Amino acid sequence: MSEDAAIEAPPGEVRRRLQVSRLLQYVLLQVLIAAACGFILRQPLPAPPQSFAVTEFRLRQGDTERSVTLPHFASARSAADDQPTYSGRFTWPAEQPQRAWSIYLPRFTNAAEVAVNGVAVLDSRRDPVANRPDRSTPQIAVIPSALLHGGSNELTIRVLVWGPISAFLDTPYVGPDDILRPYYDRRALLFVTLPIVFSAWQAILAVILSIMWVMRRHEPAYGMLAAAMAVGVLQAFLSTPIDNSPYAGLNAIAIASAPLESGLVLAFAILFFGRKWPRWGALIFAPGIILAMTGLISGQAAVRSLYLFIGTPTVGICLIVIAVIAGNVVLRRQDAASILLGCAVTIVLTSWIHDMLSVLQIVPDRRIFFSRLSYSAMLVAIGAALTWRFARALNQVDSFAGRLVTQVREAEDKLKASFAREEERARAAALARERTRLMRDLHDGLGGQLVSIVALSERGNDASAGIGDAARAALKDLRLVIDSMDDIGGDLMLALGSWRERAMAQLRPHDIELDWTITPPGLPVHPELRPWHVIQIMRLLDEALTNAVKHSGARRITVSIETLRDVDGLDQGCITIANDGKGFALAADGEAPAEGAKAGRGLRNMQSRAARCGAGLDLTSGAGGTQVRLTLPHRFPDSDGSA
Amino acid sequence: MTPLSDEPLSQAISVLLVEDDAPTLWRLQDALTKAGYQVRAAATLAEAKAGLAQGAPKVLLTDLQLPDGHGIDLIRETRQRFPDTEIMVISILGDEESVISAITVGATGYLLKDAFPTDIAATVRDLVAGHSPISASIARFIVRRTQNNPEPPPGPPLNTAKLTPREIDILWGIAKGFSYAEIAGHLGLSRQTVPGHIKSIYRKLEVHTRGEAVFEAVQQGLIRL
Repeated sequence: MSEDAAIEAPPGEVRRRLQVSRLLQYVLLQVLIAAACGFILRQPLPAPPQSFAVTEFRLRQGDTERSVTLPHFASARSAADDQPTYSGRFTWPAEQPQRAWSIYLPRFTNAAEVAVNGVAVLDSRRDPVANRPDRSTPQIAVIPSALLHGGSNELTIRVLVWGPISAFLDTPYVGPDDILRPYYDRRALLFVTLPIVFSAWQAILAVILSIMWVMRRHEPAYGMLAAAMAVGVLQAFLSTPIDNSPYAGLNAIAIASAPLESGLVLAFAILFFGRKWPRWGALIFAPGIILAMTGLISGQAAVRSLYLFIGTPTVGICLIVIAVIAGNVVLRRQDAASILLGCAVTIVLTSWIHDMLSVLQIVPDRRIFFSRLSYSAMLVAIGAALTWRFARALNQVDSFAGRLVTQVREAEDKLKASFAREEERARAAALARERTRLMRDLHDGLGGQLVSIVALSERGNDASAGIGDAARAALKDLRLVIDSMDDIGGDLMLALGSWRERAMAQLRPHDIELDWTITPPGLPVHPELRPWHVIQIMRLLDEALTNAVKHSGARRITVSIETLRDVDGLDQGCITIANDGKGFALAADGEAPAEGAKAGRGLRNMQSRAARCGAGLDLTSGAGGTQVRLTLPHRFPDSDGSA
Repeated sequence: MTPLSDEPLSQAISVLLVEDDAPTLWRLQDALTKAGYQVRAAATLAEAKAGLAQGAPKVLLTDLQLPDGHGIDLIRETRQRFPDTEIMVISILGDEESVISAITVGATGYLLKDAFPTDIAATVRDLVAGHSPISASIARFIVRRTQNNPEPPPGPPLNTAKLTPREIDILWGIAKGFSYAEIAGHLGLSRQTVPGHIKSIYRKLEVHTRGEAVFEAVQQGLIRL
């Protein structure tokens, strides 16, 4: 008892404990994911052999000039006359002129112009992808061999900065192209090709989600996500404006659309997880709209500086809110979609913190941004969650449809059965009405007259006794006809019950005993049993009884009713009428001997009645008496076989 | 048929026989008189009422179709005026139509018009002894009414609500052609009590008053309130 009390805490307490444990589990999982992410992000990317690195440079910025070691962050931001220029030297072995040499820049912000021996060989501004500071695009260029001198060569790298982030130049590598290019390719795959693949994915998702939203207007979550995807695609495929083209303003808006995009994703998360749309919901889009307006009115420079102060924090806040929402849903529902989204958000958030630390130069690194890439991870998660949800919804529809089909079929079957029952009942009712009518008619007319005949015949001489017998037989037959029309529900036992009474009444004056043996359970029930079957069987039994009374001189007649099991294991009713009188010799063909012509006709009648009901009739006769054995069919025939 | 028929006791038994068909009347009267009953005969309803006015008979045997009325009225009246009189309906076919409607107004047995004289006497004697006759088809009709059919089969209305499960079992046995001895064996009864049960069943099927008749008609859905 006390144990029970100890185990049974109040339900609220139990729920709270459960929630706390769930929260701890979830937070622990997210911390693990964040730690793993951080660890992976801190892993240095593979770099070419150090022998090809050029690290010692003279940095000239404005009027000052000093020695620096790459990688290097320049303090200057965007002043056009303040672009840092790095000058260094590298050695070209003249004995290998057949090998092409390349200059490989793993990372720089925002753009770099490379000159070898005073001749420009690479300008990253020509590559629109390289102009996106959020993509860590590498650059490589083959140095024309005519430019190279044997021995020392001059390398000048001018870094162009247009904000919002400061200038950075990672260690450049100068060496044989076949050695450097694999490293370039690897970075290009990660930071150029992969984002394009993800953008293509986003484009497809945008289309699918738009269709979903158009077809299902009551689910605005899909519309929100579609808009987020569309904005993402637009911004991914637009190039950063570096000169004052007419579209520069629009481009700037598009580039600065990340807060808008993150706002849309947040709105999606709120709607997707079925939370009430908050009253301040529109505020989610405010930073994105402010940025866009700024871009339209003031031009790109203002957008860039504003972006750093509004855009990136907005993205971070949105990510944190999404993480909180996902966590909350995990606590309440524990479904796959919310856990998946929660983990994805944690990854993106970790990347975002990493990138912020890098931008603000709090943590020294090679200034490689992962936010955009990890955002793709979130896309994967969202795509998976939506697919999961869609498949589940389809399954539900399927099972619902299946259930509906089953129910309809069941209802149909029931209806059919009840219709059949109704028909059967109507038929039985019609028969019963007809029987009642017939009974009244017979009662009022024929029956009364027959009784009078019986009464009259009994008052006369012996000769009229035959008339009385005939009239009595007619009355008996009348009762049989009426009785057999009664609905006995296929139970022949009920008809036999009445027959027994009539038989006893018939045998009593002759002082013949009727032995009635029923071996339980009596006879099987035959739902297909019809009144005409009953009449045939009753008349057959009457015939057997009358024969015994008239011809056998028997003192005792035995009626046995039993159910036998035939060779197929099916139940088969069997009625046997035996008497202890003198038997008769059957002719070889089963016919009665010629002298008993009347009895013979009676036997033929019985055979034909049995045949019409599909029943079997066996006659055995000997010194010990006669036995008539009627074997009922498994199923009574629908139509009269002899008709 | 049995030595009992010559018992002096039967001398005291008065029978009022109501039958309009003269040959049948003679026949029944002969059979009963020969068995020692004191028989008063009536051919019409009026004669029968006059007969009742002279005093209560021990047994009333009546046909249903009478030239100046219906035997049912006679049975009802007799039942109300002389509760001790045993009433039997004379039926041509022994059908439930006539027998059941007679039972509901107070009859406790039936007699087939063409029954053999010995059977006629024996049936009346049994009735006086408290043993009501019942046929398989009547038993069948009653038990069918105990089953809950949404629409009762045609025939006279009958309320079987008062019947006990045991009584219904007895009726089933009779409907299926079991003898009283077999039924008694199956149900663990004494053989002698079965006929008494039959009479009790008949009494339970009787509709006593006008109010009860209305109540039962409502019960059976014949009247909608």
